[in-house]
Amino acid sequence: MAITEAPPVNPDAPPDVRGPTAPLPATILVLGVAALVVVVAAIVFSQVNYALSDRVLTQNCINLEISREDNGAVGVCNIVEALQDPVTSAGLYLGIGLGAVALVLGAGMYRRMDSKRRRDDAITGAVLGAQGILLALLILWFRSASPGLFTKHFLNFADLEGYGGAFVRGAINTLKLAFGGEVGGIVIGLVLGVLTLSSRRVVRAPARIYINFFRGTPLIWQLITGYFVLLFGFGIHLDAFVVAVLIFALNTGAYAAEVFRAGIQSIERGQMEAARSVGMSYLQAMRYAIVPQAVRRVIPPLMNEFVILIKDTALVSVLGLTLNNSDIFTLAREGQSATFNATFFTVAAIAYLVVTLPLIGLVNAAEKRLRSGLVGIAGAGG
Amino acid sequence: MESSQAARPSAAPAARQPLIRLEGVHKWFGNLHVLKGVDLAMLQRDVVVVIGPSGGGKSTLLRCVSMLEEPTLGRVWFEDRDITDIRADLNEVRTHIGMVFQAYNLFPHMTALRNVTLALEKVLNLSSEEAHDRAMDQLARVGMGHKANAYPGQLSGGQQQRIAIARALAMKPKVMLFDEVTSALDPELVGEVLEVMIRLAGEGMTMMVVTHEMGFAREVGTRMLFLDDGQIVEEGEPKDMFYNPKSDRLRLFLDKVL
Repeated sequence: MAITEAPPVNPDAPPDVRGPTAPLPATILVLGVAALVVVVAAIVFSQVNYALSDRVLTQNCINLEISREDNGAVGVCNIVEALQDPVTSAGLYLGIGLGAVALVLGAGMYRRMDSKRRRDDAITGAVLGAQGILLALLILWFRSASPGLFTKHFLNFADLEGYGGAFVRGAINTLKLAFGGEVGGIVIGLVLGVLTLSSRRVVRAPARIYINFFRGTPLIWQLITGYFVLLFGFGIHLDAFVVAVLIFALNTGAYAAEVFRAGIQSIERGQMEAARSVGMSYLQAMRYAIVPQAVRRVIPPLMNEFVILIKDTALVSVLGLTLNNSDIFTLAREGQSATFNATFFTVAAIAYLVVTLPLIGLVNAAEKRLRSGLVGIAGAGG
Repeated sequence: MESSQAARPSAAPAARQPLIRLEGVHKWFGNLHVLKGVDLAMLQRDVVVVIGPSGGGKSTLLRCVSMLEEPTLGRVWFEDRDITDIRADLNEVRTHIGMVFQAYNLFPHMTALRNVTLALEKVLNLSSEEAHDRAMDQLARVGMGHKANAYPGQLSGGQQQRIAIARALAMKPKVMLFDEVTSALDPELVGEVLEVMIRLAGEGMTMMVVTHEMGFAREVGTRMLFLDDGQIVEEGEPKDMFYNPKSDRLRLFLDKVL
C-alpha cells in the first residue's frame, strides 16, 4: 500500500483550481465511432443483402416510375428498396442517437479531460458523432426525395455493358491530351517565363500579350476556333485531336509561364549576383544557377496545373472527335445520349478520380518535401 | 608566387599603377543618394578596409567596384579599362574580381566542389580535370578539402563562407572583394573565416574588405576608408585612424563600436 501512496503535497504549491476530472473519454470516442459505423454499416448491409438476393420488381418501385421495360430495372429497384429497408432505417436513427450522445458529452467535457490524449479522444468522438448525424440526415433527405428517379438515371449500370474497352480507350485519349498539353506547356511556359523577367519592355511585351490572351479568353473558345484559325488563317490542316493537344499546350504554356516566373523570382537575388560575380553571363546564370533551383520549387504547382488540365480536356467534347479519339467525357456524353442513362457520367467521374487522386497525392507529397527544406540536398541527385 | 613575394618591399613601378580607380562615383536608388562622389585608387597588394555606420554606402561602394551596381555618375577603372563604359565586357572583367557576400550565396543544389568548378568550366572553359584539380587546391587552401562533396545545407555558416571564398579564388582573381563576410556568422565561426582572409592578405592578395571587425581592420588593413553618408570622410593608415581620428564623425563612430 505504501508504494501506491500519493506523493506528498507541496504546501507551497498554488491551490488546484482545475476542477474535477471529467469521466468517460474512451466512452465518448467509442460512441462517436459507433454512430458513424452504424450508419455506414446499415446502408452497406442492406444494399449487399438486396443485391445478392433474388428479388423482383416490387410494386413500390413501379410506383416510383421504374418500369419493367427499363434495362436493369431490378438492380435499380434493389438499391431503392434497400434504402427503404427497416435495417437501413434502424441504422440511420440509431446512428443519429449515438452521434447526439457523443456530440453532447464530448463537446461538454473535453475541456476537463486530464490529459492531452483523453481530450483528443473526447474531441474526436464528438466530431465523429456529428459526422454520423449529418450523414444519416443526408441519407434520410435523399430517400425522402426521388431515390427511384435518381437511381434509375445515375446508378443503373446495366446499360454500360460492353463499354469497358471504350472507357479504357477514352482514358488513354484523355491522358494523351493532358500529357501532350502539359509537356508542350512546360516548354512554352519556361521560355515565356524567362522572357517576362527581362528588364527590357520590348522583350517582356510580346510574352505578356501572349500570356494575357491565353489566360484572358475561355479555353473552350480557343478549342473551338483553334482548328479554323490554323486552317483558314495559316493554311495548316491538322487532325482535330492534334489541334486540341496544341491548344492545350498553348493554353497551359500561359499558366506555366506565370508559375515559372514566380518560381524564378522566389530564388534569392544573391544567387544571380554570385553567378554573375564569377563571370557568368545572364543566360549562363539562369541556366546553371537559377532555373535548376526554380524547377524544384515549381514542380508542385506544375503538377497541380496538370491535374487541372486533365479535367479541362473534357472540353474537347465540343469538337466532335471521332470515336477512336474520344476522351472519357465525350464517350460518357455519347453513351448517355444513346441510352438516356446518366450512369455514364457517374462512371466518367470515377474514371477521372482514378487518374487524378494519385496525382493529387503526389502533389501533396511533393509540397511536403519542399516545405521540409530537404530538396536542396536530397533532390540534387548525383 | 615566390618572386612576387620577394619583390614586395621595393614595389616595382608597374605595381604603382592603380588596379582599381574610382572617379566621382555617385549612386542613387530612386531618390536615395547613397554614394556622393567617391574617389578611390587601389594599388596592387593593398588591403583596403572600409568601415562606417550602416546605411553609409559601404556595400554599395564595393558592389560598384564589381559593377553589380552600376554607378549613376562617375567612372570605375579596372587596370586601364573604364568598366563603366557601356562597351566593357563585364563578364570578362568580373573573372578578375573575386567577390564574397555576407549571405555566402553558394548554389544550394550543388556540392561544394561543383560550386567551385562550375565557373571554371563554363566561364574559363577549363577541362573538367583541370577544373577539378584547381577547385580541390582552392578548397584545401581554405581548409575545406574534406567537405568537397557536401552540399551547402549540410555545412556550417563558416564552412560555407570558406567555400564561397574558394569559389572566388579559383578564378585566380587580381582582387578580392569581401562584403561583410562575417556579419551573418555565429560568433564562434567568425575566426575561421577571418583566418583565411588574414592568410590571403599575407600572401599579397589585393583586397577590399567591408567589415565591422575592427580588430581585423586595424591589424590587417594597409589602408582604411571611413565611409559615412555616402562620402569618404577620412582615410589613411588604419592604426593611425584608430588612435588619432581627425574627424568628429569618425571619433563618434569609433566610440560607439570599440
